[in-house]
Amino acid sequence: MRPRHVGQRVPRVNDHGPLHGTGLYVDDIEVPGMLHAAIVRSPVAHGILTAFESESVPGSASVFGPEHLRARVHAEVPVLWTIGDQQQLGTPLVDEHLRYVGQPIGIAVAGSRYQAEDAAEAVDLAIDYLTPVVGIDQALAPDAPLLYPDSGTNVIATFEAGDSAEHDRAVFAAADRVLRTTLRIGRVHGLAIEPRGIVAVPEPRRAPGNRNRITIYTSTQTPHGVRDSVCEVLGLRQGDVRVVAPDVGGAFGLKDHIYEDELMVVIAALELGRPVKWIEDRFESLLATTHARDEIHEVEVAFDEDGSLRGLRVDGRRNVGARLAVFGGGPLFTALGVVPGPYRWESVRCGGRLVATNTMSTGAYRGFGQTQAALIRERAVDLVAGELGIDPVDLREMNMIAADELPYRMRTPIQLDNGDYRRALRRAGELIAEAPAPPDDGLARGVGYCSYVQMGGIGPSDANEAIGLQIGGFESATVRFEPDGTVRVATGISPHGQGLETTIPQLVADELGINPGTVELVHGDTDTTPYSAYGTAASRSIALGGGAAVVASQRLADKVRAIAAEMLEANPADIELGNGRATVAGTNVDVAIADVARRAWQGFRLPDGSDPGLAESYAYEPVSATFSYATHACRVAVDTETGAVSVEEYVVVHDCGTIVNPTIVEGQIHGGVAQGLGAALMEEFFYDEDGQPLSSTLLDYHVPVSESMPDIRIEHLQIPSPHTPGGMKGMGEGGTNGSYAAVVNAVCSALPDADWSDLATPLSPSRIWQALHERA
Amino acid sequence: MNEHTIRLTVNGENAEVRVEPRMLLSDLIRHQLGLTGTHVGCEQGACGACTVIIDGRPQRSCLVLAVQADGTTVETVEGVECDGIENAVQTALHEQHGLQCGFCTPGIVMSLVAAHRAGVPAATAREQVLDGHLCRCTGYVNIRAAVDAAWEAAGDRRTGYRQENLGQESHRQESHGQESLGQVSLGQESHRQGGSE
Ligand code: FES
Ligand code: FES
Repeated sequence: MRPRHVGQRVPRVNDHGPLHGTGLYVDDIEVPGMLHAAIVRSPVAHGILTAFESESVPGSASVFGPEHLRARVHAEVPVLWTIGDQQQLGTPLVDEHLRYVGQPIGIAVAGSRYQAEDAAEAVDLAIDYLTPVVGIDQALAPDAPLLYPDSGTNVIATFEAGDSAEHDRAVFAAADRVLRTTLRIGRVHGLAIEPRGIVAVPEPRRAPGNRNRITIYTSTQTPHGVRDSVCEVLGLRQGDVRVVAPDVGGAFGLKDHIYEDELMVVIAALELGRPVKWIEDRFESLLATTHARDEIHEVEVAFDEDGSLRGLRVDGRRNVGARLAVFGGGPLFTALGVVPGPYRWESVRCGGRLVATNTMSTGAYRGFGQTQAALIRERAVDLVAGELGIDPVDLREMNMIAADELPYRMRTPIQLDNGDYRRALRRAGELIAEAPAPPDDGLARGVGYCSYVQMGGIGPSDANEAIGLQIGGFESATVRFEPDGTVRVATGISPHGQGLETTIPQLVADELGINPGTVELVHGDTDTTPYSAYGTAASRSIALGGGAAVVASQRLADKVRAIAAEMLEANPADIELGNGRATVAGTNVDVAIADVARRAWQGFRLPDGSDPGLAESYAYEPVSATFSYATHACRVAVDTETGAVSVEEYVVVHDCGTIVNPTIVEGQIHGGVAQGLGAALMEEFFYDEDGQPLSSTLLDYHVPVSESMPDIRIEHLQIPSPHTPGGMKGMGEGGTNGSYAAVVNAVCSALPDADWSDLATPLSPSRIWQALHERA
Repeated sequence: MNEHTIRLTVNGENAEVRVEPRMLLSDLIRHQLGLTGTHVGCEQGACGACTVIIDGRPQRSCLVLAVQADGTTVETVEGVECDGIENAVQTALHEQHGLQCGFCTPGIVMSLVAAHRAGVPAATAREQVLDGHLCRCTGYVNIRAAVDAAWEAAGDRRTGYRQENLGQESHRQESHGQESLGQVSLGQESHRQGGSE
């Protein structure tokens, strides 16, 4: 019998480091001769830098200002997604036009971090002040100051998705009723607990004219993506740059590219010919690591008296901050692409605008727009249910795409793959109904639901190109038996908490008939791993990185069978792999797979057609995106006196295709739910009207603590993906996408008399109090 | 800048080091003593990742100046023993999948170890001690399960613990906007924010 490791709760293989203090995060790296950097940042939201004086800096420190840095720059920092009529395709590494507080404008390097910070403080800046614009409405006002005066507008791009205006009008005109609502999605910070950081280590100088290789250790999700950008911006040869992601303390989308300040560290290291380390502090992180969301959506939903949903209209505006993040308006584009969700609509028409303001860029964060999409749709659905007096679960079910209607093309027009959305909905409804009754304590209670589909495994590459995304959609793996019979799997994905060091070996072990303990994942180093444009992001890793490893392993298994057959004088088709042995089916005749590996690397008496060695590489180009899905349901208790909310009960019924390791999937759901719950109830990054950040410490930016988080009841449906090798659909972001809307809906249902016509998240106590007591 | 010589015991070994008065204990531990298992997530006293045990009490090493630690005994995650509650906490966090990226983990290990040694019951550890730590990956659900499992394995041996033995200075925000700074210097009574307002 061949043991199956996929689906088992295999314990994680890489817990030991953090538990015992032997992990290696970027700030743990010490290199002989290493210097330390501090970044000089704009103190103002809008202005022109007229002088950068370093006279007062002690001689022991080196300072690089805008001119010096610019001299090393070959190209702008790329924006990898072009959407609609967007003109901004890159942004300068340094710019004297200061557009947000925290914008990096120079770097100081010294023998210690303390001294580097002193040196950065000693730089004198002269700035001509300009009037800042902070919010979306302010930026769109007729006389608004312009961030990019040449363009004549603060609108960076506009785009449309879904049906034509004509079709939309016809559907809305034919529907019995229309409801409207405004949703303001607060600005949030992904807040990985480990800040960003980089250690740039140039090789010692060689003879003039020779190139210096540089190794960059950085806390990133995407080592290959970092290398691409370093080489493009600094004009270096790809082979001369090695990027290593050591242990990474969380990322959530924030670490999906190299930032300008990090590039300055690379420049300083190259200029000085010395290793340079820079570790972001929390204040900098809050100011100058990409924020997320900050959107306003005007939503209209057309429906009939019987509860049929007919039309959805969304006008979305996103505050992109001072300049486009690496994936530009991608989150809003994605939000509007998946907004139809698991329901049938006759028409969906969306418009998006990307608006520049004097704030930090908003970029990728777990969910990448799909969290907002869920809120837009699920609020609309609840409004209809409330208006018609229909149970929200019933209304969802009657409009939900049935299992036998899949695959189904949404009107935006992305194709959904497979599943049973209604089953997840019904089961979640049952589970939340079974929850223990609340105490009679005078608190207001409500149950909220969110049903969503989550796009993961994005690709194929041609589809990426068609939507303006500048990176391909494939993932690669090399699976290699070592001569001792152990296996190493080199992957371009770059895990940083997702447990792929455990799950990819589970997949590979099953294909090769060996124990996962003999399989090791090699990742996070551009010198030893195949190219991946994404690294680990966008719920792609297990579906696509795992899929690539599965196919490479299947090919490798064929070769093992061929060599074993030669050794056992049998037919390759009769060889079964399992328990570390290759066995002739129905006999006791077998050979250890480790012996097959040794033979392959010796090259002795290999069968015709088998090359020496035992390794296979495969680049997996997905045929289409995958869609995991779920219904989340929760019950909240609201204190109407204080506006305080507690989430008491939480259930998730989901399908992410084949589950490689239920424990890890559940952990991803838990963490995702916490992040959505935080955005629903407490997380918001504030600026004042001058564009000064008000959320500059963790005492001001509130994320969930244990007390905020309920226990979560999870049930798995497992309907394998029809597309991916192995059947995985990808699920890392789903928890966030579901919980945000489920919690908001629950609060709204707990307080049916409050005014939610203009709903802003987070639903902080003060917002709830206002909705209850300050009705117009 | 004038330097001070301080002596302290770290993980059972005596250390004599010269430090600037402004150096944080977290930096001394990590960068001068090379014990990088202690993590720094905020230097604002909010995340708890930097928690070490000083003279038996869990403390945020980012809120302690190295010179304040002169004459103390410090335990870091590298030094916790491999049996008893230390092992139970580490094993439970592993078995219950109580860590993902692992960045918050060393601080949580140290707080839980100190809490158990002080006789804190499992429920208090789960409901209060853990609230002094930020974890962005796990949603805390499995960390709570690990607390129960660790206490179960190591035995809820002591009873009648005293609240001040918790000793943890939590400077995190209230989830509902109330904020307050605790005491910063060593040897103060514990000052933590718990519960919602
Ligand atoms: S680093 Fe000390 S509390 Fe966060
Ligand atoms: S495991 Fe990542 S912050 Fe806790």
